[in-house]
Amino acid sequence: MVYYLLICRSLTYAQRSAKALEHAGITAIVSRVPTILSSSGCGYGVKLSAKHISNALIVLKNAELHPLKIYVQYADGNFNEVNL
Amino acid sequence: MIYLDSAATTLKKPASVARAVAWAVNNLSSPGRGGHAAAMAAAEEAYACRCAAARLFKMRNPENVVITCSATHALNIAIKTLARRGDRVIISGYEHNSVTRPLHGIGAHVVVAGSELFEPEMALHAFERRLTDDTKLVVCNHVSNVFGYIQPIERIAEACRARGVPFIVDASQSAGVCEIDFERIGADFICMPGHKGLYGPQGTGLLLCARVPKTLLQGGTGSQSALVEMPEMLPDRAEAGTHNMPGIAGLRAGIEFVEKKRVQKIMAHEHSLVDFAAGELVKRDGVRVFVSEYGYCQSGVLSFCVDKMDCEIVGEELARRNIAVRAGLHCAPLAHKTAGTFETGTVRVSLSVFNTKGHIRAFLDALDEILKKR
Repeated sequence: MVYYLLICRSLTYAQRSAKALEHAGITAIVSRVPTILSSSGCGYGVKLSAKHISNALIVLKNAELHPLKIYVQYADGNFNEVNL
Repeated sequence: MIYLDSAATTLKKPASVARAVAWAVNNLSSPGRGGHAAAMAAAEEAYACRCAAARLFKMRNPENVVITCSATHALNIAIKTLARRGDRVIISGYEHNSVTRPLHGIGAHVVVAGSELFEPEMALHAFERRLTDDTKLVVCNHVSNVFGYIQPIERIAEACRARGVPFIVDASQSAGVCEIDFERIGADFICMPGHKGLYGPQGTGLLLCARVPKTLLQGGTGSQSALVEMPEMLPDRAEAGTHNMPGIAGLRAGIEFVEKKRVQKIMAHEHSLVDFAAGELVKRDGVRVFVSEYGYCQSGVLSFCVDKMDCEIVGEELARRNIAVRAGLHCAPLAHKTAGTFETGTVRVSLSVFNTKGHIRAFLDALDEILKKR
C-alpha cells in the first residue's frame, strides 16, 4: 500500500493537522518521521492513504496548515519527496 | 474542615480530576518522546488539554497554549521576554510578588499605577497617565488575590495598544471565574495557574501566547533534537523537559469541568456568597470589610480586618475551629500598601464553586465566638 507522509514543524502542529483532516473525514495518523527524512532530528508528521492526498492538501490549505515537506512511501518502505 | 482559601489553591476538586490524574500516572509516558502507544497517548492528552484551554479562552490556535508549572512560571517567561534591565514597566497597585519579584530581579524601572480599591475608572486613568513613549511593558492582574478587585483589563489593553506597548495579564485569580477572551483582550501574554479556578492539580499553569516567548529553560523538547538551539515554534520553545502528565490530564479534566459548569454561573455563585458574607460581616462591631459598592468589580474573594486583633490570630483561631482562611499579606505587599492595609494585613475568605451558604454561616459563627473573646 502507498502512503503519504506530511512532515510538520512540530508534534502539536501534526496533531492540529490530523484533527483538521479527521474533521473532514480523512483518516490521518500522527507519527514520528524516519531519521533520514528529518534534517534536524526527532520530527513528526501525518500519515495518510494515497487515495486521500488531493483532498487532504485542500483541507490543510483551507485550514492554513502547511506541511514542511511531503513524501510518498512505497510498499517497499522507500520514500520519495513530492514537489508540488 | 470548611475550606475558604481557594485563592491559594482549590482544595476540593471535581472527582474527574482525581480520576484523570490516576489514569495518567498509570498510562501516560512523555509526549514527543517516542512513537509507542504510551508516548502517543501522552501527546494526545497534552493536545487535548491545549484544545480545552483554547476553547475556554477563545483562542484560535492551541499551539499558542504553553503548559507551565504554575502562574509564576508563566509570568517569569512572559516578563523576561518583554522587559530588560532599566526598562520602564508599569504595573497596577495590586500586583502579586510573582510579578514584582521578577521585575525587581531583572532590574526594571517599575512604575506603579496606584489607584483606589474597587474604582476601575480610576485604575484605567492611572495607567493612561503613566503610559509614555518610553514605556516598554505593562503588567496587570485581572483580579486582586487579596481583595477580589476585578481590574478593567480590556480597557487597559486598549490603552496599551493605542501606544504600542506590550501587555501581560496575570489571570491567576480570574481564570475559570471571569470570562477571558484572549483574542478580544489582545494581550501579548496571559498567565494563569491550573490549580485555582481551573480546578487542576498543583504544579500546573498556562501561558497563553500572542507571540513567541524567549526561553526561560533550555533542554529536551522531543523535537528538532539535532539542533543545539531551542526550537522556534510553540509550544516546544517554552516547554523544555519532561511534561507533568498527571498534572496535565488533571488540568484538562478541571477545564472541562469549568466549561460544563460555565464561567458565568461559577462567578454568580461565588459572588452571591461574597455578598452574603460581606453583608453579615459589616454588621459586626469592629470588623472592617473590603467590599465593592458595585458588585461587578469584585470576584469571590473578600478581605476583612478585626479591630485590635492581629489578622494572623484571627486566622489561627478560625483554623482551630476548622475554618481554613488565609491571613497576612498574601504574597502581595504592594496590594496592601495600595489599599492601606500593609501594617495590619487582612484575613481573606476566598471561595470556589463547591462552597455553600452553610459554609459561610459556619465561618460567621466561628468568627462570632472569636469576637466575643476579644
